[in-house]
Amino acid sequence: MNLAVNTPWALTGLVLALLPLFNSGMRTSPAPWTALIPGDALSAFVVCCLRLCAVAAIAGLVLGMAGLHRTEQSRERIGHGAHIVLLLDRSSSMDNTFAGRAPNGSDDGRDAGGRATHGAVAEESKAAAARRLLTEFVKQRQNDLIGVAEYSTSPLFVIPLTENKNAVQAAIAATATPALGFTHVSKGLGMAISFFEQQSVTGSRIVLLVSDGAAAIDHDSELKLREWFKRQQVRLYWIFLRTAGSPGIFDQPEDSRDDNAGAMPELYLHKFFLGLGSPYQAYEAESPDALKQAIADINRLENLPMHYVEHIPKQDLSAACYSVAAFLLLVLLGVKFCEVKR
Amino acid sequence: MNKPLKDYRTWCLLLAALAMLVLFIYPSRLQKAPTYNYTFIIDITRSMNATDYQQDNQAVSRLNFVKQTIRELLLKLPCESKVGLGLFTERRSTLLFEPLEVCSAYTEIDTAIGKVDWRMAWAADSNIAKGLMSTLEMLQKSDSSVIFITDGQEAPPVNPNYQTDFSAVKGQAKGMIIGVGGLQAVPIPKFDSHGKQTGFYNQDDVPHRSRFGQSNLDPSQIKGYNARNAPFGSEAATGNEHLSALQENYLEKLAAESGLSYARLTDLQNLNRALQDPKLATEKVVQADIRRWPALLALLMLSLVYLPKLPKYRRFS
Repeated sequence: MNLAVNTPWALTGLVLALLPLFNSGMRTSPAPWTALIPGDALSAFVVCCLRLCAVAAIAGLVLGMAGLHRTEQSRERIGHGAHIVLLLDRSSSMDNTFAGRAPNGSDDGRDAGGRATHGAVAEESKAAAARRLLTEFVKQRQNDLIGVAEYSTSPLFVIPLTENKNAVQAAIAATATPALGFTHVSKGLGMAISFFEQQSVTGSRIVLLVSDGAAAIDHDSELKLREWFKRQQVRLYWIFLRTAGSPGIFDQPEDSRDDNAGAMPELYLHKFFLGLGSPYQAYEAESPDALKQAIADINRLENLPMHYVEHIPKQDLSAACYSVAAFLLLVLLGVKFCEVKR
Repeated sequence: MNKPLKDYRTWCLLLAALAMLVLFIYPSRLQKAPTYNYTFIIDITRSMNATDYQQDNQAVSRLNFVKQTIRELLLKLPCESKVGLGLFTERRSTLLFEPLEVCSAYTEIDTAIGKVDWRMAWAADSNIAKGLMSTLEMLQKSDSSVIFITDGQEAPPVNPNYQTDFSAVKGQAKGMIIGVGGLQAVPIPKFDSHGKQTGFYNQDDVPHRSRFGQSNLDPSQIKGYNARNAPFGSEAATGNEHLSALQENYLEKLAAESGLSYARLTDLQNLNRALQDPKLATEKVVQADIRRWPALLALLMLSLVYLPKLPKYRRFS
């Protein structure tokens, strides 16, 4: 019971509640000598009750006017869910379709490497497809805490881990604005893991990386990421939005000269993730449908029991105060009509 | 004759009961209240690290002061107002999240603003006119007012021959440019790759003139001029671009060209007043609680019943 009021100064009105203690609120009947009237326990009791009624009625009105309420309560519960950080790629290529074209159909040739017509051709940019499916995903994960981070050349902190799904949706919707610079995945991962720093370890902790490209990670960052992943017990899901014709994460190099992180960053990033020692799952989505499958899998797998805090919103008690006061007022009024004057 | 009706107390109690009846029948009234919908676009370029604000007797950077002030402002906004957040650097801005209702998403907005950092910049230039233009274009369809917060320091300086044309968005966008910083030029801190300050930018660190396109000067005035190879001449430009002050005239000019208004950030009250511009507000009909008025009447009536008698009314009869 955490009670609070909206306008504390209104509580000074409670002084008025003392009035009935000094005055009976009844007409005085003249009597020759009051000492002649014998004391009556029942009368004294009734008078006492009436005065208490009046005190309570005044106090009720004052508390109602002050806006008495029970503050927001939280209750710890156990449910199924996860702490998920959505790590979204904001690099410019995300604005192209899975076929590597600009969404209006004109070939911009940046990702497709001249083979733009291969593979699934969807006239929806990768960012738009990701946005649509993530919106759906967030809707389905009611108990989860979800946070959002983005990265391009540098990491962007967007929304902390929260139950507020509207906030998460607003952040996902904001990715509709044009994308930024390059892909600097290691900084993005560092930012995503930092979300878990001050959270208790409960349920599964997931970083859901949605990107359409990879970049080589330097040695220092590799060491740090390895340590952070282990310390924070984070599971990694990588949804790789593969552009048709570009190298995938499961492709083996055809030429041994290409077998390095510079030439095949996707494969090497995948290898690095496999070696993290924490659970890791990669999905290669070449079309919006494949992306849907990946999200459905996460939905099915990541439902470990988790402590979560249920919030009970602030409860207004002023209506109750007014009702009590009104009832007591009616009692007093009724008693008033029973008053006898000779 | 009904005797209780002769007593003023009965009438007081009746009136109080009547007031309570009114209270339960008309608990609220529809009321128009202004609500706001802001999208704050915060400049995170290096010059925003210049420390020319004072807070609790400590020098704070422009960016920190902006963050702190907006976080305090959040508490002052009426519920149902919405706040979105975006960042500006280079030639454009990005939106982090679309406007969210302030009361239900206070923690999220507050945390996100607290985490804004100059290191989030994805590129290092600071072309404010272009950035403002791209922001206004990006948010053209949104009904949110753009609050563009910057110190007006263009880096590198803009070539007057190539100024941004705002005619396409003028009059369509609503919003405000908030100028940040002091009018006295101060040095801009320089940081290493670990985020530690390593001194200040000095004169040789920054370009003092745009070398893009054609020079705006008369070729005969430029030393070492060569139309193809050295349109800006052979001399290195010197200037004070390594120091930063609030470019108020420039921002006022941008505001006039783009149809926004301009205000300078000095403190919270001042910002709050500037942002409560009726042009930026939308009237929303909200249910206002009016129960306290009949309750007050009932309270007065009830107090009157129990008011101790003053001596002068005491009669012997």
